[in-house]
Amino acid sequence: MKTATPNKPHWPALPRPRQIVVVLIISVLIAWVTTPIFQSPFWLVLRRTTFIAMVMLLAFTVSGTWRLQWMPRWIPRWMVQVLAICFLAPFASLAAYVAIAGNFMNFIKANNLLSGFATSTIFAIFFGSIVAVVAINREGKQRERADRLQLELEKNALEREVLDARLRLLQAQIEPHFLFNTLANVQALVEAGSENAAPVLRHLIAYLRAAMPRLNDADATLENEMQLVSAYLEIMHMRMPDRLQFELKLAPELKSLRFPAMALLTLVENAVRHGIDPGTEGGHIEVGGRQDASSGMVTLWVTDTGIGMAETAVPGTGLANVRARLQAYFGKDASVDLHEQTPHGLRVELIFHPGAKA
Amino acid sequence: MNAISKQVTALIADDEPLLREHLRTNLARLWPELRIVDEARNGREAVEMFDIHQPDIVFLDVHMPGLNGIETARSIARRAHIVFFTAYEQYAVQAFEQGAVDYLVKPIIEARLADTIARLQQRLQQANDLGASYDALLDRMATDMRQRTPKANYLQWIKASVGNSVRLIPVEQIAFLRSDDKYTLVAWDGGDALIRKSIRELSDELDPDRFAQTHRSVIVNLHYVSEVTRGMNETAELHIRGRPDVLPVSRSYLHLFRQM
Repeated sequence: MKTATPNKPHWPALPRPRQIVVVLIISVLIAWVTTPIFQSPFWLVLRRTTFIAMVMLLAFTVSGTWRLQWMPRWIPRWMVQVLAICFLAPFASLAAYVAIAGNFMNFIKANNLLSGFATSTIFAIFFGSIVAVVAINREGKQRERADRLQLELEKNALEREVLDARLRLLQAQIEPHFLFNTLANVQALVEAGSENAAPVLRHLIAYLRAAMPRLNDADATLENEMQLVSAYLEIMHMRMPDRLQFELKLAPELKSLRFPAMALLTLVENAVRHGIDPGTEGGHIEVGGRQDASSGMVTLWVTDTGIGMAETAVPGTGLANVRARLQAYFGKDASVDLHEQTPHGLRVELIFHPGAKA
Repeated sequence: MNAISKQVTALIADDEPLLREHLRTNLARLWPELRIVDEARNGREAVEMFDIHQPDIVFLDVHMPGLNGIETARSIARRAHIVFFTAYEQYAVQAFEQGAVDYLVKPIIEARLADTIARLQQRLQQANDLGASYDALLDRMATDMRQRTPKANYLQWIKASVGNSVRLIPVEQIAFLRSDDKYTLVAWDGGDALIRKSIRELSDELDPDRFAQTHRSVIVNLHYVSEVTRGMNETAELHIRGRPDVLPVSRSYLHLFRQM
């Protein structure tokens, strides 16, 4: 998801205190079990075992967190860790026995020390590998749990987004500025005795009824939406006849398509407010839709020849809202694409598969 | 000069023709002696027409394309009596009331228009000067209106040619940008695109809370970084969520990921 923070970087890490304690306990157990085999006092075996175990723990954590540049990527991390342990076991044993013998020459000469070294190396590799594999297994399970939790969080965030989008829909959509300006126009028509008064009033009623907050928009179709868009554009055309022309081009087979209410209207309102209205020249708006015969993909578009958009224009909540609701209806692959028009203006496309399940 | 013998003139400026017409008819009925010299469709036209006709009164819509009503009033300065009208700009209405400026609210109510006319007739008889406080009010309102259009300091969109159209890519959908010969590669959720803007320019124009330059030739969206792995010689590599790309972090940018 967009807000996910990057994972922790993998620097070579030292063993955590918890790991040290666990390894110490295991060392005591191994020393206790193996003392009869070594013919040495328990404390000596314990010291030796602990030393070897600690070296191997260090090998385990460092090799697990420090990925070397030259190492091929296909080698899994657990294999690197186990190999590191096996590789270091003889060296750790050797160091321990040389320390007991005093110097290297004494160690070479003493047969019992040499055989002890071999036994200890085998034990180190044997127990070390077992402990490492168990630890890796546990780590994997923990990561799996964390991943599941993360997934759950992301799912919750998505559900919340959809809920937010619906809540925003429930809030009043009608801008007072639009309403009062339109009423002023209706008043002008009525007082002038114009025959246009009745149709304009009809458009306004259609718009207001559709734009009123409501709880359920599950039954809305693309045809309803186009009627709403048409009512809005008729009103705006009446208000700025010299500055706004428009055209609606919906393929007839799309009329019955279930569609999130107000989504297309939001785009058309944006086109008027940010594209047409700020320019003294005005422009042309086209709203249309077609379905690709082979893929079944639906493309709806709102194009305007208005002033266009700056690269620093802050995207309003409207656009994000449209995207969220489109994806709630038609799945994650539904997209809202913006294109610049030549010589100026904007084209917004909604692309989705009508059969896709959200 | 004899004020009685001179006919009072007015200019109407509104971008909506029906509303201009409506105001003109109402004025004709309530103040037949008033002569409307012209009607302007926007602020710039209003200023031009004012210079030609020098009317006594200007009716100005606050919301107009090009030059809005407040800015238009500032260029007319105090050379005419201004009556603003507005549909809903609540903040403007408040400001007008505080500054004792004439205003009308749309839809216009006849009684209210009659009051305004009476006040205008009275003012025309007197030496009229609203004073410097009027200029200050308009200045304040003009600044205020400019601030109402939110404009970010940083790029919110990247314009990129895709096929034969120019896409506007929302920056939050960009994973990373990498220089590629003369161009810059934009890797985003919808695919890859090439733009002409350089990494150097982009690093100044993108929001530093979201984007970080990690290498001479790379800017990465921090929200897309899934993993940072350490390499040789004080460098590191970034792994990008949902993409196979591995991006370099050079020594001088390594500090960005130390505390993460």
